[in-house]
Amino acid sequence: MMPGDRILGAFAGVAIGDAAGWPSSRHRAGVHAPWSRRLHRELDAFAEEHRVTALPVPFALNQPVAPLVIGPSDDAEWLAWTALTIDQDRAEAFTGLAGRDDLRARISVRTALDNLARGLGPPASGHDNPHFFDDAAVVRAVAFGARGLDPTADAQVTNAGDGVLGAVAMARAIGVLVDGGQMGDAVEAALDALPDDTVIGRATRTALAVARRAGDPFGAVPALDAALFDHVYSYGVAAAETFPVALALAEVSGGSPGTAVPAAACLAAAADSAPALTGALTGAFTGHGALPPGWSTTLTGCCLPELAGVDLLDIARGWIA
Amino acid sequence: MTLTHRGRARGCLLGLAAGDALGRPAENLSPEQIAARWGRLTEIDGGGTDDTEYTIFAASLLARHGHALTPQDVALAYRQEIIPLIDGPMKGAGFSELGAVQALRRGLEPPLTGQWHRHGWSDGLAMRAAPYGIFAAGDPGEAARLVEIDGSVSNAGEGILGGRAVAGAVAAAMTGASPQEVVAAGLAVIPEDSWTARNVNRAREIVLDPAGSGGVAARLHEAVVVRHYPWTDLAPEAVALAFAAYLLGGGEVEESVVVAANLGRDADTTAAIAGALAGAGRGEAAVPERWARQIGPVEGRCLPVTAGRHVLDVADQLVEGT
Repeated sequence: MMPGDRILGAFAGVAIGDAAGWPSSRHRAGVHAPWSRRLHRELDAFAEEHRVTALPVPFALNQPVAPLVIGPSDDAEWLAWTALTIDQDRAEAFTGLAGRDDLRARISVRTALDNLARGLGPPASGHDNPHFFDDAAVVRAVAFGARGLDPTADAQVTNAGDGVLGAVAMARAIGVLVDGGQMGDAVEAALDALPDDTVIGRATRTALAVARRAGDPFGAVPALDAALFDHVYSYGVAAAETFPVALALAEVSGGSPGTAVPAAACLAAAADSAPALTGALTGAFTGHGALPPGWSTTLTGCCLPELAGVDLLDIARGWIA
Repeated sequence: MTLTHRGRARGCLLGLAAGDALGRPAENLSPEQIAARWGRLTEIDGGGTDDTEYTIFAASLLARHGHALTPQDVALAYRQEIIPLIDGPMKGAGFSELGAVQALRRGLEPPLTGQWHRHGWSDGLAMRAAPYGIFAAGDPGEAARLVEIDGSVSNAGEGILGGRAVAGAVAAAMTGASPQEVVAAGLAVIPEDSWTARNVNRAREIVLDPAGSGGVAARLHEAVVVRHYPWTDLAPEAVALAFAAYLLGGGEVEESVVVAANLGRDADTTAAIAGALAGAGRGEAAVPERWARQIGPVEGRCLPVTAGRHVLDVADQLVEGT
């Protein structure tokens, strides 16, 4: 394996997993004209009114079709932004985004930007936040892990509690893997960061146990759904759900992106980010060279418009060189 | 006129029920939408919601267990009196209540039941905190300790703090403390370094600064409402709006409740909290008669176990238990 191949694998794994989840095409349709998405919502209402089971998928009416081909979206773009700004003070980096009206981001990030704008810095910016528990910082932690850095200061800008713990666990696991460790070592490193008496700690241990019992990633899908998801809340990006899924599938697959990522994508409630996190862990284990070559790592700018056309791997290659 | 302990208790829960009923049609509306529909919403049209019924349920826990209440008692009450009566949809339940029920069904125990779901910060505990303040009148710390035991089943973090703040404030209001003292008592039982305390302090500053620019409703929204979040039941927001309305109303029942309801957001809950505080401070006779007439026994639409109970009887029972 070439030096740095595991770092490239972690980044490419995020892009591939991000692309594999069904929400990706909806995020990517964000670059289309707003009326296009209004028509989408009207079609959804039509399907409800007429009781037809034809659910609309993102479409291009008088719009370019390129954004709707399979490819990465929000998670890959926020990882790219993190990698590009990783040497800056984290509160300063985020403050640089405050006031922009062309961004798309998780509720935790949007709220943190509002908090920063009113003078409320970390850790309160991530704590006084309805989505303190989401996995925005867990995604960003892939960059910190790849550089062997502590993600806490970054995570605390937008998150608190399980959202920060998940980021630390992710960075440690990725750090072990890019240093050449085995998946079991990465799992242990992650667990060390997750106290038993936290929800994310308990959920991660539960997920590992049910996946081990199932014996393979696809077989573990119903057991993970039953063990982790109560299907009560409205947004499926809780760190205490997505990170446990990713770690458990990465382990039970033996570090195989080809089986772990599709299994994560089967969990509809977690499909926005669990596949990307799973891709990060398994890609960091196999290295970029072992990943399927057909998956795009080029960003559309659906969350951060300045990243349109940027290849996520070029950013990672800049680090390695 | 000297207010009796019983008169304050009855005023507290009657004010809560009236606020719940007045705010119900304004829930999830903006102040502008409310103004467009009603001008100023002042008249109750129909009954209350989950706020009153969960308050009656909380009072029943105190009636049975008093100061000895434990998280296990609360979990058992959910398992025996709420879960078996859920027939299909859990009407009126917020995310935190259904999340707690799902956690209990999974076999978890408190405090994990309040942490396992994502809605720990909901105002579901704050909305039913008043009985703890009545029961521990004059002792905000004890009121806060007791409500936290209830909340350990369904809430976590700021949701617990919201309940503590309201219970502590009601305990102070039950002694006839001034509105400023009541809000201070609520703040005294939660950490200064908390979202709820920061929001209440921001809201209080706006109320105390009439010279500030812009309408007070707009300034309160700017200060405590999370713009990029679609639900309105965040305890730090609801408690801050309720306390602000109570201060703006000068502690008077009608004005406090009306101000809260017309601020919108989780209007039934914020108006219920404002009504509980003001009712405890001013007593049963201060609740407008035209509102009191509208408050009958609850129907048990959300919690069937509470059906047929009237808040005034619940208040009497709480007073007898102390």
